[in-house]
Amino acid sequence: MGILRGGGKEMNAEEIMQKFQEAGYEAWIKEREAGVKNKVKRKSVWIKVDREKIRDAVEHLTELAEEYPHFSIISASDEGDEIELNYHFTLGYGKLLEEFVVTFKVTLPKSDLKIKSITNLIPAAIFSEREIREMMGVEIEELPDKRHLFLTKDFPDGIYPWRRDETAPKETNKLYEGWKK
Amino acid sequence: MKYEIPVGPIHPALKEPIMLKFTLEGERIVDVDVIASQNHRGIEWIGMNRNNPVQSIYLSERICGICNFCHPACLVMAVEEAADIESPERAEYIRVIQGELERIHSHLLWAGVAAHELGFDSLLHYVWMVREKVMDVLELINGNRVTKAIIMYGGVRRDIKDEHIPKIKRMLDYYKQAFGKLAKLFLEDKTIKMRTREIGILPYEEAIKLATVGPTARASGVTKDVRQDMPYFAYPDFEVKAITPDMLTGETIGDTYDRIIVRLLEVKQSIEIIEQALDEMPPGDILAEPKIIKLINQIKKAEGEAVARHEAPRGEVIHYVKLKSGFEYLYAWKVRAPTYINILSWRPMLLDMQIADIPIVAASIDPCMSCTNRVVIVRNNKEEILTADDLHRLSVKKTRRLLR
Repeated sequence: MGILRGGGKEMNAEEIMQKFQEAGYEAWIKEREAGVKNKVKRKSVWIKVDREKIRDAVEHLTELAEEYPHFSIISASDEGDEIELNYHFTLGYGKLLEEFVVTFKVTLPKSDLKIKSITNLIPAAIFSEREIREMMGVEIEELPDKRHLFLTKDFPDGIYPWRRDETAPKETNKLYEGWKK
Repeated sequence: MKYEIPVGPIHPALKEPIMLKFTLEGERIVDVDVIASQNHRGIEWIGMNRNNPVQSIYLSERICGICNFCHPACLVMAVEEAADIESPERAEYIRVIQGELERIHSHLLWAGVAAHELGFDSLLHYVWMVREKVMDVLELINGNRVTKAIIMYGGVRRDIKDEHIPKIKRMLDYYKQAFGKLAKLFLEDKTIKMRTREIGILPYEEAIKLATVGPTARASGVTKDVRQDMPYFAYPDFEVKAITPDMLTGETIGDTYDRIIVRLLEVKQSIEIIEQALDEMPPGDILAEPKIIKLINQIKKAEGEAVARHEAPRGEVIHYVKLKSGFEYLYAWKVRAPTYINILSWRPMLLDMQIADIPIVAASIDPCMSCTNRVVIVRNNKEEILTADDLHRLSVKKTRRLLR
């Protein structure tokens, strides 16, 4: 690994958005106010990334930021013909009121559900990638550990709990052999 | 000769059923593997396929019994952002008070468990007796000790009344007095120091690399606290500062002892936050939309997505929510509890430690699992089953050995 700090300098949400826009990504910022007497803005940067570029995007983020991107989670949703993955990171932590969320949005067509693993860049992502693999049926390429994470070993193949199509579990009480009918 | 001990699977009522497989050379741990697939309750699936968003608040409360405020709070924060619901100022203060009360009771609960893991059961009983005071206050203002059903989209469901305030203040005074004694018992005791100093070290670099959160990360010197970095509810008014062990001892080692320091100091910090909140709490409404049917319809019509982050006692809890217009349930819901990411840090902590250190080091991240069910030792191809009691006995034995 070796990279414990990002290669860049201190950046705020707007600068990160700009840098990604300059690099050809579609990026936008969402804001939400918090606080009663002392109003602050909680910011999140959303960046659209093609699946081939997910590693490039993570590397780019690591190079830009002063601190090592703090990995949060990968969330997923079934959008009909596509699966949408959101890679959430936080930056600017450790400083008063300066943290913001960076999210990489990737959409994959259901006919070809494959994406490269980012575990080689962000070791903490391994659990989340294993979870996406079993829950959404997205093949994570070059993932070092492909066992089930939360589902049991005998969970039937081809059934993905987070899907909204024919592969979603229907009769949950009949998923396992030997379960009460 | 290497042999393996699987620890777990654990109690099925916990949200992260986990089994740890240790590879040992003699007493020394050389490898740790985490196997989580023991029991999956499908909470997210229920939220996405069966429950309406209001029902999901109560469901998320049941993700974890100890953090029964932080999960619903985080879900509510995400849905409020996605559906653009504002909550009244007084409600934001009550949410802060609830969050801090939860931190006090959770950290004290943990301190008791840590004492038990070390074999100091008298200290466990003392700490849990002290903890009862905050549980009484929780019961007073919520009507319930756990699963308090306090939070709602656009506010809270029950107010903190004037007659509650003197009782809460009495509790705070009690904790201020008890704090000195607790700090002395935990931090100056020679045996606790021997069992926890330089045990289960998580270096700063590993904490950053493994995205560790909460007291576990702060004890390694990572000044990461959502209440400080990206405050929510009424937290910007309080200017919370992340607690690191060097505030007390002047140095950060990142061991189990440092994790005790961080949690004890956070109890003190929570007391200060509650005091300030009680003094500055504005009057007014506590709920933006009291009619639940109207609220459900409003959320049903909303479209959007949001990531909410809340500093739970164990660290940062994250909920991602996506709403689709006309869709009855949450379209997507992802819960990331702090232990989900913190269990990764067990490996660097436990490597090169001894079997007897497993209970206290595993407990030192305050995992959301209360007990280790059973352990199977495969030694010379013969299986021996060690129960949690046996492991505990090994830990107590080590304490006794050190005492001699």
